Amino acid sequence: MAITPMEIYKLLPKTNCKKCGEQTCMSFAFKLVNRERKLEECTPLFEEEKYARQREKLIEYLKPLEEATETGLIVKEELCVGCGNCVVVCPVHVEKDPYGCGSGLAPKTDKLILKVENGVVHVLDMDMCRRYGKNRVLCVVCRENCPTDAISFLEG
Amino acid sequence: MSGNTEYYTCAGCSCLCDDIEIDLDGENAKTVKTACRRGSNIFLEYKENRAEPAIEGRKVEFEEAIKKAQELIEKSKSLAIYGMDTIPIEAQKVAIELAEGKEAYIDNSSSYCLGDFVEMVLKKELPTATFDDVKDYAYVIFYWGVDPHNSLPRHMSRYTYYPRGKKRQRGYEEDRYLVVADIRKSHTAMLVAKNARFIQVDDDLKLVDAFIKVIDKQMPEKYADDAVRVIREMQKADFNVIMGGLGLRYGLKGNYEKFKEMINKMNEVAKVYFIPAGCHANMRGFNEVLFEKTGFVNKYSFKDGESSLDYAFFELLKNDKVDTTLIIGSDPVNSLPFEISKKLAKINTIVVDPRKSFTTQIAKVVIPSAISGVEQGGTMIRSDGVRVKVNSLFEREINDVYVLERLKEVVA
Ligand code: SF4
Ligand code: SF4
Ligand code: SF4
Ligand code: SF4
Repeated sequence: MAITPMEIYKLLPKTNCKKCGEQTCMSFAFKLVNRERKLEECTPLFEEEKYARQREKLIEYLKPLEEATETGLIVKEELCVGCGNCVVVCPVHVEKDPYGCGSGLAPKTDKLILKVENGVVHVLDMDMCRRYGKNRVLCVVCRENCPTDAISFLEG
Repeated sequence: MSGNTEYYTCAGCSCLCDDIEIDLDGENAKTVKTACRRGSNIFLEYKENRAEPAIEGRKVEFEEAIKKAQELIEKSKSLAIYGMDTIPIEAQKVAIELAEGKEAYIDNSSSYCLGDFVEMVLKKELPTATFDDVKDYAYVIFYWGVDPHNSLPRHMSRYTYYPRGKKRQRGYEEDRYLVVADIRKSHTAMLVAKNARFIQVDDDLKLVDAFIKVIDKQMPEKYADDAVRVIREMQKADFNVIMGGLGLRYGLKGNYEKFKEMINKMNEVAKVYFIPAGCHANMRGFNEVLFEKTGFVNKYSFKDGESSLDYAFFELLKNDKVDTTLIIGSDPVNSLPFEISKKLAKINTIVVDPRKSFTTQIAKVVIPSAISGVEQGGTMIRSDGVRVKVNSLFEREINDVYVLERLKEVVA
């Protein structure tokens, strides 16, 4: 399930009180998804009893954030058959390992984002992913080519 | 990884991936790299569920099981040899020699799988190509009646749609056109996105007809848009490929002439090749080896010198035509209807298999052998006809060649 700023926003106090340091609850919600902010920074949510139910729901809803990698990529090993589609299509792999991964073969380097080991995909180095860092782009190529939904992203 | 990495071969399906790295911990595979889940498990779990030599359910010495099997084969008046889909051609050849010596029936799973397609390819009735060429040149990649994501997990990522090749450098979205024709929206069909087409077929023959009609500039009854679009895409390139599976095989209902006509017609307006997309690692190997010897690919009787539907293994059992069967690396009890499989328990059934199975449980004699790719190498024939040298993790002395040579002593 994807985590969206809109869904988070719906559960925040929606008062735009700015106590979190953001101008609006909506921008706080965006930063939560990007993990630039932590839920605890919305102090009213934790201090005021009337938000108790919303708070519990939000904590539950944001759980996958803790499990996700830096870029919001989540791998569900139990859904992976190890077909290697994601490894072969990743544009970073194609560039860095054209004659291994890019050609459909065993990787010729360990400097990779994803790798199939013991039949399921593993995350090796998320720093290389195009979704990471300052100039990030919303690449979804690996997810799009996994028909069993073993790869997902937090923001959908 | 580096230049001196040793790559092993996976015999988990007809992709025969030969780029598998394995880290060992003593005799155990600790990490299997690049193989899919099915392939990895073969290496990771190779010690589990192993067959033991047995006679009528009683554990015996290996030599005793061999002797008993020889005795049963010797006195058999009507023997059928079946299976061999997962053993190397070197062992298949020995089994065929044994069948010849005993004037026996011999068959593999292809009689109910893609044997007919392999036969048409071997007889050059269908133009074919290798995966290496598909990777380098193919534009339209057409899966018809097969769901490779599940049955041939690395087919698309290693050989066809996803890898970049010589003339296909820009990646699948620009350099390939994916077509999936199936009765349901399979996992493979879910990969149909940009520059791709899913054709939901409930009548394969009508789709065949649609292609023929569209090329003849007539109006087909069904699938007109699909056929027009696919043909137009095929005309954009000088290399296109159709991979046909079990769904296509049954969908054609034996109307192979029509299918050949379609492929021929396509080749009047574009360049189209055909590759059978069967599943068993070396099913095609058996077809080719038998073809070289007899001119037929399966369900063959050495006594009658011909191939016939009557000689398909299941028919032989159904009609009580054999007194003894030798089943190698196959588990028919698991796949046959009970009415037929129970007959295997009544006649003399000899099973040669590295693992326990339903069939080993009912067999008169069980002879354990080696797992291809793990404990025995040799040669296998990939689904595109390329011979692959199987580099196996270990080599065991007791393998299928050894066991079958011993059984062949009966006719020496
Ligand atoms: S502290 Fe909470 S309620 Fe106040 S603006 Fe931030 S998110 Fe909204
Ligand atoms: S995550 Fe999906 S695409 Fe990647 S190897 Fe696993 S099943 Fe294939
Ligand atoms: S999101 Fe893009 S760059 Fe990152 S792993 Fe997936 S395909 Fe590669
Ligand atoms: S695709 Fe087939 S041959 Fe390749 S690793 Fe998987 S099971 Fe083995």
